[in-house]
Amino acid sequence: MAKKLTLAAPAQQAAYEPRKEDFAFLRARDIETDQNFASQGYWKGVLLHFFKNRRAVIGLIIVSLIIFFAVVGPMMSGFGYRDIVQTRNENNKRVVAKGISPQIPWLQRLLTGEEPSGAFGGYTFLFGTDDLGRDLWTRTWYGARVSLLIAFITIIIDMIIGMSYGLISGYFGGMADNIMQRFVEIANSVPRLVIVSVLAIFMPKGMGLVIVALLLTEWIGMSKIARAEMLKIKEQEYVLASRTLGARHSHIIFREILPNTIGPIITQVMFSIPTAIFTEAFLSFVGVGIVLPQCSVGTLIEDGFNNITTLPYQILPPIVVLALLMLGFNFIGDGLREALAPKIEDM
Amino acid sequence: MLKYVLKRVGMALLTLLIITFLLFVLVRIMPGNPFPSERMSDEQIANKRAEMGLDDPILVQFGRYMAGVLQGDFGKGTSLYYGAPIKTVLSTAISNSFRIGGIAILVGTLAGLALGITAALNRGRFMDGFCTVFSILGVCVPSYVFLIFLQYNFAFRIPFFPYFFDPNRFLFSTVMPSLSLSLFTMSTIARFTRNEMVEVFDSDYVRLAESKGLYGRKLVLRHVLRNALIPIVTVLAPLVVDLLTGALVVEKIYGINGIGKLMVDAIAGEGIDYNYVLALGILYSTLYIGVMLLVDLLYGVLDPRIRVSAKAEEG
Amino acid sequence: MKKLTAVLLTAMLLLGCLSVPAVAEDAAYLGVMLGTNVMSLDTNLATDGDSFEVIADCIDGLTQMDADGAAVPALAESYDLSEDGLTYTFHLRDAQWSNGTPVTANDFVFAWRRIAKEAGEYAYMLDEIGNIKGAAEIISGAETDLTTLAVNAADDKTLVVELNVPVSFFPSLMYFPTFYPINEAFYSSLEDGTYGTSPETFLSNGAFVLEDYTPGTATLAVKKNENYWDADRVKLPGIRYQVVGSSDNALTAFRTGALDVVSISGNQVSAAENDPALAQNLTVTGAGYMWYLSFSQTEKNANGGQLANNNLRLAITNAIDREYLVDNYVMDGSLATYTAVPPQFASSSTTGADFSADQDMFKEFVDYDPEKAAAYLETAKSELGADEFTFTMIYGNNEGDEVAKVAQAIKEDVEASLPGVTINLQPMTKAERLDKMQNDNYDIALTRWGPDYADPMTYLGMWITNNSNNYGFWSNAEYDQLIADCTTGAYITDYDARWEAMYKAEALVLQEAVIAPLYTKSQANLITTGVEGIAFHPVALNRVYKDTVK
Repeated sequence: MAKKLTLAAPAQQAAYEPRKEDFAFLRARDIETDQNFASQGYWKGVLLHFFKNRRAVIGLIIVSLIIFFAVVGPMMSGFGYRDIVQTRNENNKRVVAKGISPQIPWLQRLLTGEEPSGAFGGYTFLFGTDDLGRDLWTRTWYGARVSLLIAFITIIIDMIIGMSYGLISGYFGGMADNIMQRFVEIANSVPRLVIVSVLAIFMPKGMGLVIVALLLTEWIGMSKIARAEMLKIKEQEYVLASRTLGARHSHIIFREILPNTIGPIITQVMFSIPTAIFTEAFLSFVGVGIVLPQCSVGTLIEDGFNNITTLPYQILPPIVVLALLMLGFNFIGDGLREALAPKIEDM
Repeated sequence: MLKYVLKRVGMALLTLLIITFLLFVLVRIMPGNPFPSERMSDEQIANKRAEMGLDDPILVQFGRYMAGVLQGDFGKGTSLYYGAPIKTVLSTAISNSFRIGGIAILVGTLAGLALGITAALNRGRFMDGFCTVFSILGVCVPSYVFLIFLQYNFAFRIPFFPYFFDPNRFLFSTVMPSLSLSLFTMSTIARFTRNEMVEVFDSDYVRLAESKGLYGRKLVLRHVLRNALIPIVTVLAPLVVDLLTGALVVEKIYGINGIGKLMVDAIAGEGIDYNYVLALGILYSTLYIGVMLLVDLLYGVLDPRIRVSAKAEEG
Repeated sequence: MKKLTAVLLTAMLLLGCLSVPAVAEDAAYLGVMLGTNVMSLDTNLATDGDSFEVIADCIDGLTQMDADGAAVPALAESYDLSEDGLTYTFHLRDAQWSNGTPVTANDFVFAWRRIAKEAGEYAYMLDEIGNIKGAAEIISGAETDLTTLAVNAADDKTLVVELNVPVSFFPSLMYFPTFYPINEAFYSSLEDGTYGTSPETFLSNGAFVLEDYTPGTATLAVKKNENYWDADRVKLPGIRYQVVGSSDNALTAFRTGALDVVSISGNQVSAAENDPALAQNLTVTGAGYMWYLSFSQTEKNANGGQLANNNLRLAITNAIDREYLVDNYVMDGSLATYTAVPPQFASSSTTGADFSADQDMFKEFVDYDPEKAAAYLETAKSELGADEFTFTMIYGNNEGDEVAKVAQAIKEDVEASLPGVTINLQPMTKAERLDKMQNDNYDIALTRWGPDYADPMTYLGMWITNNSNNYGFWSNAEYDQLIADCTTGAYITDYDARWEAMYKAEALVLQEAVIAPLYTKSQANLITTGVEGIAFHPVALNRVYKDTVK
């Protein structure tokens, strides 16, 4: 727009005094003809595509809500994640609020018209309590923090290590591929429990060790997918064209081929997240991960599983949170996939 | 082709040797004791270690172990099923895990493909949404939780299937563990199939085929599915290895004598059983390496343009 | 796609061809839950209660346990004790192995020599506990001539055992599987390392014979031994064992009728109590072993040996509410314990009274009293010149569902009553926990000990200087002297004086808070209505089915 104006009034003719009649409002039509879709940045286009996708936006909202509750949820109930809720009965004996199914006293009052009974009748436990007497609402959201962290770390590991490793291995092929794939076989074949136990001698147990454990093997699935896609695509004509034009390897791998492999890569990320979350739970159980009374969605599911027929409500909140999180991630992933994949109409 | 396979097998043996040595050293570094004891004197334990040759230089120990393995002797347990030769214990576990895992893979793959194809053909409609939700639940609900659900409903409420694994009624008692184990595979395959097929449907060559008047089953199977199979085979491969080598909690809940439980008992049971960890490690690596070789060969079959083998021969 | 399916189908068919051995299934069999897989049926190798139980189903020793746990004759019809109390002569009855050969004194000689030679986990029953002459030298490897073990067959039916010192409870050791016989001819005919790995490689002389067993399997079956010397007594046609992985699963298995005898813990116990259909089936039995906290007193642990301070240890001991732990988290009828020797397993042979029946005896040292605990802590703080204490407490994550809960509850209790004390929990496998304790690489450990024989010494013997189970590395000359007097010295012939000396020793352990006793484990069993006569024992053999009817 500005360009048009300067053309109309070149700066060199300083002597000319612009008058009011020289100016006029542009019509919408003129602006549109000027706004070429292709001239927009790639990422801006992706964003536009993404936010037009209704499901992607829903996914974003779900994930944001879970992050919100993970941050403030544990503070909402008034109980700490490690507080064992207890009181004393008339004989001065300690009574613990364990195994209480979800209860909301005011709702109970409203529905039945009766005052809730029992030692803990007046307490609000939205998700109930666990078998130690701790509030599950607090613990679920506290656990979501750990699991969200694991989820984002997995995404990073997959996208950085796994993808590059697979793409490079597949692209160069031959000896490079051979050595890189043999390395994968070795890395994948040492049982995780063995390698983590050995690592635990050299570094403190806890989240750091879990991350290192994930770093060791969590990228392998992704690298296999990226390599397969690379093998498939690198023989296609446009890659050959790029190569004959003298493009650098890194350009071909990451600018030419990568955008065409994004679909399966995003799908793979989605499936590696729950696997990583359960891996963390397993590592924590064997004592190299987070330590009780801390918890994660994975460890909460395992705890709930121990009492699945006697306290069935206990396993629901963590599974629902995990499923919602995955639903959100999948919607976002689908949206991204559709937004990122090069389409014929965009060319 | 044959030359390539032979070369890969040779390489696999070398990789296997490296893995075994690595594992051989790592288990010895791990905290824990191959002779867990609260009642033996230090002297007794020292005698036992000497008897097993644990005080020799590591290479001597490794050489002795490999010599045994080459003769099919994996030793016997030190903290797990002590008396019995590992071969005996392992062969039952392998037969159980392979069969249950094998059925799980078969069911998971076929059902997953069917679900994925249906979803892709009905994109944006109910079946598509169902497939999405199903596959998300399938990866979020651990297989053992699903097993408990099945066990509670179809072995307790409606006592149709045996409550515990019963080798005499093998097929019957395989249904529930196999079904619960297949859930993850089913979800993964369904999701990958759906996403891949949708992408292939959108590609120009399918549009071309469509414009040429190709449609229906032929189009779906010959052009779309075939092109979508590469990532599907890639994700399926490690799942096959994992399922064949058992699943700890499912085995524990259903009373199956399988590889998964054996592995965890060997590492995290009463003590660390070096011999079991090694034997199971060799089994797992062999399977993994074999399946990966198969996958590389399969790429060439699915897409003749892919020449993993030719490339490898150059290098 | 077709190819893939074809490949998979072929693979399945191939796998389907592998056959599975057949097992007899009989509804009259008793279905019993095992907590863990049977690790070995070889008396030299077995170390766990479940293995011992199955071995004892199939093999009789010189004596057996009656319903109350007392030693009564089994393969030995009678025995003579020399006047100096050092030589036992056992007279065997006519009994047969399941292959028809008679049980002879030589079978015992062979089995016991083998135990001494192989020097496994329970070899200490021969030397440290049984004090059999010549055992210690062979077990340590100093002596290789097995005939120096003073166990001899005078003839086929007479077994002579010589001891170093009189052991008052020797006959009651004889029902422990370590002392069971093995038929030498049969054993020698087997391929090396295969003894006890299948019904074909295992001989019985007891109430049942092994019917189905493969190492590693979750099921095991024994059937009635028609040639058992006391066959009329045995009513069950057989027992079907099933390994069950969790308490929750055990409860449902019982409800389906898949099993007749299961043990449950935690929430499943309260679920069963509140279910009118199940409450009548609930039976609580003593499981014997005691859970306790062990404190490392050496300088390399606990921030330079802070736990060597007696007041600090007493503060922790008195800050733990044992009743609350037992009522809320263990829940299987386990007993809050305030003594170093748990109740219910050792009773005086003169008065018949339980050694630890009086749990208030040492309340002065072990109690739940937050105020007293705080006072101890104040003293400790001034003595050590520190205000903040951080310790790591290790526990096994594969030692039962309730352990993690108990560990968390202890952490909350101690931190609430003792300001400035922080306890960090560190779960690990039992193997690693033992490794850490044996290498003195821990601050506080949640650990347990089960009685091997029915005498308080099975506990008190642990805390003498340099004992391998003295994980706290505590040393007290007075205590060592008392224990020496009880095992090899002045009190071995004076039963009542020995009993009193053991109380004195126990007081020392608790006064110095070498350990903090927590609770004595019970087992909450669900038993099908109509099944009666299972003998439960907290020591040696947990369940005996000789009188059981279904």
